[in-house]
Amino acid sequence: MAWVTWRQHRPQLVAAAGLLFALAAAALGTRIPIEAAFHRESLAACLPPAARTGCDIIVPHFEAEFGGLVTSVRVLTVLPVLAGLFVGAPLLARELELGTYRFAWTQGVTRRRWLLSKTALLAAATVIAGAAASAIVMWWRAPYDILEGRISPSSFDIEGLVVPAYALFALVLGVLAGLVFRRTVAAMTATLLAFGATRFLVTEFVRPHFLAPLHRVVLATDSGRGPGDWVLSDTLVDGGGRQITAAREDLAVTHAQLAGIDPHTYIVTLGWKRLIAYQPAGRFWDFQLLEAGLFVGLAALIVLVTVWLVRRTAT
Amino acid sequence: MSPLATHGLGKRFRREWALRDLTLEIPPGAIVGLAGPNAAGKSTLLALATGLLAPTEGTISVLGRDPLRDPGVLADVGYVAQGAPLYRSFRVAETIEFVRRTNARWDDEIVGELLTRIDSSSRVASLSEGDRARLALALVLGKRPQLVLLDEPFASLDPLAARELLQLLMDGVAETGSTVVIASHVVADIERVCDHIVLLTGGGVRLEGSVEELLDTHRLLTGPRRPLGAIRGVREVVRERHSGRQLTLLTVVEGPIVDPSWTVEPVSLEDLLLAYMAPERLPAPKTPEKVPLRWHG
Repeated sequence: MAWVTWRQHRPQLVAAAGLLFALAAAALGTRIPIEAAFHRESLAACLPPAARTGCDIIVPHFEAEFGGLVTSVRVLTVLPVLAGLFVGAPLLARELELGTYRFAWTQGVTRRRWLLSKTALLAAATVIAGAAASAIVMWWRAPYDILEGRISPSSFDIEGLVVPAYALFALVLGVLAGLVFRRTVAAMTATLLAFGATRFLVTEFVRPHFLAPLHRVVLATDSGRGPGDWVLSDTLVDGGGRQITAAREDLAVTHAQLAGIDPHTYIVTLGWKRLIAYQPAGRFWDFQLLEAGLFVGLAALIVLVTVWLVRRTAT
Repeated sequence: MSPLATHGLGKRFRREWALRDLTLEIPPGAIVGLAGPNAAGKSTLLALATGLLAPTEGTISVLGRDPLRDPGVLADVGYVAQGAPLYRSFRVAETIEFVRRTNARWDDEIVGELLTRIDSSSRVASLSEGDRARLALALVLGKRPQLVLLDEPFASLDPLAARELLQLLMDGVAETGSTVVIASHVVADIERVCDHIVLLTGGGVRLEGSVEELLDTHRLLTGPRRPLGAIRGVREVVRERHSGRQLTLLTVVEGPIVDPSWTVEPVSLEDLLLAYMAPERLPAPKTPEKVPLRWHG
């Protein structure tokens, strides 16, 4: 089956290799100035506990200089779903669409083995490609991550173990969609929607609760953001710890303005504080393991469903 | 053991029954013509035999095994689906490689012999219909199957190419003694080689038997037009045709026809099958009381 898989998916595998190569080349080219600036400004010395002065100027300057580039790298979030769209979805949909399943599934290799072998080989290739892409991004972002941490979604989603896990999930999701919809375009659309929805739901509603968030109370005027934390919520509370409603905050601000006082100062005098719920930067690998495990588990479930369905597929 | 047997087999697509209450037993080594008009259930039967479809009711057994529960049996079955689907982007050599790698038993020799005329580096998409059908057949014979199932293999071929393909098939299975089932709505294609007929109409078996037995039991009766009653020696009138003052009957006979007003002739397999396939049925015979049937000896 290895030859069969290679022959049928050669274009996709070549495209994936090309994509990785381009990514590596781009990373190599653009990282040199970042690295140079990092060393020129001795930014490593600004890591906590901050040992040198001027970090409060140098760090934002460095971040601003490369911020655009770093933001644009977030587009790589779409990489994993490509495995689902261009490898997974056509795997069964094309066979069903063109009728070639009647040729492929009536050979000595059973339908189930055909599906499992192809899926396993392509899954291995997908995981390798995903891991390579993730490694490239991690290497590229390293100077930035040291300062900013990488647990917030903008970096978490394109680094570490989750990238190959997402790609694997997208791949098998595509295979299942192909079996259900039997048309390549429909299967691709369904894969995109289901993948996007799952990722959104997990990021918004599951990942923040992998471990109980930590809380920190700071002065209302503080920025309150420790370096590298993923801030989940940031609310004003009064001295008794009760949350300040938006209406009450508006009232206080208006009151201060009428009285000719700076609203910030006024809020501090009221004894109001800010309560920040966050996931600390140090939980990055725990969260990576948990989320990657979640997606690999979902992938395994989808494979089981697909194998069960493909046997019962009446065509 | 019958290489292909069904019992009470039925397959329903949504509300339509494509096949209903089908009970069959193909004798080993037979060359079976699976005849019938379009939508008679021929393709459905073959798809059930290869496990591509699941029966709605009843059972089907292929080489003694259930093709759905035990798909390993397909290693011994050579199936060419309607239109001979192959990967169009593959080269001929790659297509052969595909089948070689997906089957434990593989005979390169027979495939080589069949494909000497075809350039193995050409793409499947660029082959003529005839060459593509030839390739599909070669792939089936290379498996050395015990049972060959061909679904309308000649549909897109000219008569000469069809005849040639049929010859290749017969040569290929002659050594192995495989059972062959050829589904075709073109009677002329199958009558040349088949020794057993299964005729499906409307999802059920209309006629089944060895060709010899069918030709033995059917006679064409020609005589002057007359009201019909029971005819001595005739068990069943399959079909009647009037032309002017003449009446022609296709009958199943059970003894000699003694009435001299009938000219009795044997019937060709093609005429026989066409008569059974025709949609309209014979009206019930008129009651003998109304008409005195003096010519009944």
